[in-house]
Amino acid sequence: MSYLPCGVYHEYYRQDHAWWQTKFVIGKMIFLALFLFYILPFWGGLYWVGVANLVTYTIMGALGVQLLIGYCGQVTLGHAAFIAVGAYTATLLMLQLNVPYLLSMLIGGLVAGLWAIIFGLPSAKVKGFYLIMTSLAAQFVTVDFILTQFVSQIGGRGQAFSLPPGTITIGPLVIDDDTKVYFLGVILTILLTMILANLLRSKVGRAWIAIRDNDIAAETMGINIVFYKLLAFFVAGFMGGIAGAFWVSNLAALSPEHFQWFWSLWLVGVILIGGVGSIYGTIFGSLFMVLILEGLKFAIIPLTPIYPQLSMKFLFLKEATFGLAICIFLIYEPNGLAYRWWQIKNYFNLWPFSY
Amino acid sequence: MQLFLQVLITGIMMGGIYALVALGWTLIYKCSGVLNLAMGELTLIGAYVSLTFYLWGVPFLLSLLFTVIIGFVLGLITERIFLDKLIGEPVLTVIMVTVGLSFFFRGIVEFLFGTDTVIFDPPVFPMQPIDIGGIIIGQVYLWSFVAAIVLLIAFVAFFQYTRWGLAMQATADDEMAAMSLGVSARFVYATAWGIAFIAAGVGGTLLGNINGLNISVGYLGLLVLPAVVLGGLNSVPGAIVGGIIIGVLQNFSGAYLDRFTPGGVKEIAPFVFMVIILLFKPYGLWGWERIERV
Repeated sequence: MSYLPCGVYHEYYRQDHAWWQTKFVIGKMIFLALFLFYILPFWGGLYWVGVANLVTYTIMGALGVQLLIGYCGQVTLGHAAFIAVGAYTATLLMLQLNVPYLLSMLIGGLVAGLWAIIFGLPSAKVKGFYLIMTSLAAQFVTVDFILTQFVSQIGGRGQAFSLPPGTITIGPLVIDDDTKVYFLGVILTILLTMILANLLRSKVGRAWIAIRDNDIAAETMGINIVFYKLLAFFVAGFMGGIAGAFWVSNLAALSPEHFQWFWSLWLVGVILIGGVGSIYGTIFGSLFMVLILEGLKFAIIPLTPIYPQLSMKFLFLKEATFGLAICIFLIYEPNGLAYRWWQIKNYFNLWPFSY
Repeated sequence: MQLFLQVLITGIMMGGIYALVALGWTLIYKCSGVLNLAMGELTLIGAYVSLTFYLWGVPFLLSLLFTVIIGFVLGLITERIFLDKLIGEPVLTVIMVTVGLSFFFRGIVEFLFGTDTVIFDPPVFPMQPIDIGGIIIGQVYLWSFVAAIVLLIAFVAFFQYTRWGLAMQATADDEMAAMSLGVSARFVYATAWGIAFIAAGVGGTLLGNINGLNISVGYLGLLVLPAVVLGGLNSVPGAIVGGIIIGVLQNFSGAYLDRFTPGGVKEIAPFVFMVIILLFKPYGLWGWERIERV
């Protein structure tokens, strides 16, 4: 938690526990809502809306990773598997059984959560590196084997499930362009963030944090470690599943290639850069990674006349930059962007009497 | 029976190469405690370096020697720039730095060499397969296996009989005691990375000779993980035996189980096997039994 501004005191617990404690914060939130729901989608142009869609998807996926790694201490390098399970469940329900989109999204999330529990079971016995290995196996078994070889055969659609326009509808509203996807994404992101933030300040969240900090001490305090770990896997998988089901609305065709191991590592990289153990961190990290790579795209345009292959090889440059960014952040800024933000905020909150 | 022996022999041959790379992995872990997920990219780098020399017309053995030297230097540099600053950091941090390194290396390799499959041209080893009592073995496999075994023996001899090797063993055993006896731990860490680069580079070169070289050779780096988990993370003989077992297992599942599924068992089997090991014997065959109970 950051410090309150100078001169603000609370008289009731209700005030003390409020999310937005000062008028200034409420003002910021109103401005943020205005920006998200009016300025960006209507004045920003389609390009930035597309970028924003990628950001919302990254945030939703990374929230689950943040919960597992940052709040429960269970390192996972296979989160793309759960996202994929959510996406495939939702798509199959829509295409085969004509289930409405929102319902299939919910079922997708639940199935992904249950799937995450299966691969979370070893966490009852092992931790650290061995758990990482299990999550790695989850990635390869789920995406490269089950989804590619078996699930993709359902319905005889071939390797990629094409989603004809007009498949994804919410009631009478057809989600068919970037702006509508954007609104769906922003609303879902806000919902998921609120769910996670509220969970974290409840009994469940405190149990998770206790397990992260010291699992033996947590057990002696009477926390059922296995239950809460599996619950963390379930919630993280659920969020991943919702993210996957959301991303379906932005795709013309769904194939296992969208959920490769790279994406799992990408999500972990996002939270490491943003800051482990902070919801802000998830959002900052997603913004930073997506925007930096978009900026890189602009930066190399002037260089293409000098070295024409550069735009073709951009993908590789992106990969190398991502790797280098992770290394540099971990070595020089191990607390991530959220820590920097926390410092800046406190500087202004405590100004002028910072001691 | 014919098929069984054929698959077994091929598996052992492939396993030899896996064992070589797994040895490099174990070495880093043993000496410096770094769980390295960038092993596949180290194989890629080594393989592409030796291929480049070979395509320039340098004889194969000489280009392999250059690969070894360049690999060693790259290993020292990598350790000094990235890993040296992370001594004493949490496990996740170190693992993620190696993941970052793997992306970095992979991006660089793809950027410089492209993603098309390239082959050693003209072929290094004769194409004519050898027929031993009905079992047909490609000469590439045979020679790769021989090369891997020679290198494995060389490494083991290095650890047993040279001053540096003994210093590395001492550090792996008890860092504090080794330092008090005048062994430089930083030197040992750097050497461990250098040797890992060498092992991975030679392994990658051999694999590139078998199937041609493209980015998927880096997949080998992931196969190393089941091998070392099976053998025990910090056991050198474990890494060798684990590598060979994983090679055999992979070939068996490819030969016998693939017909029951649409395909892809061969790539997945080592990981499924790894999960089973983790559930029942997490410290592997000969690893230190220092697993923290949850």
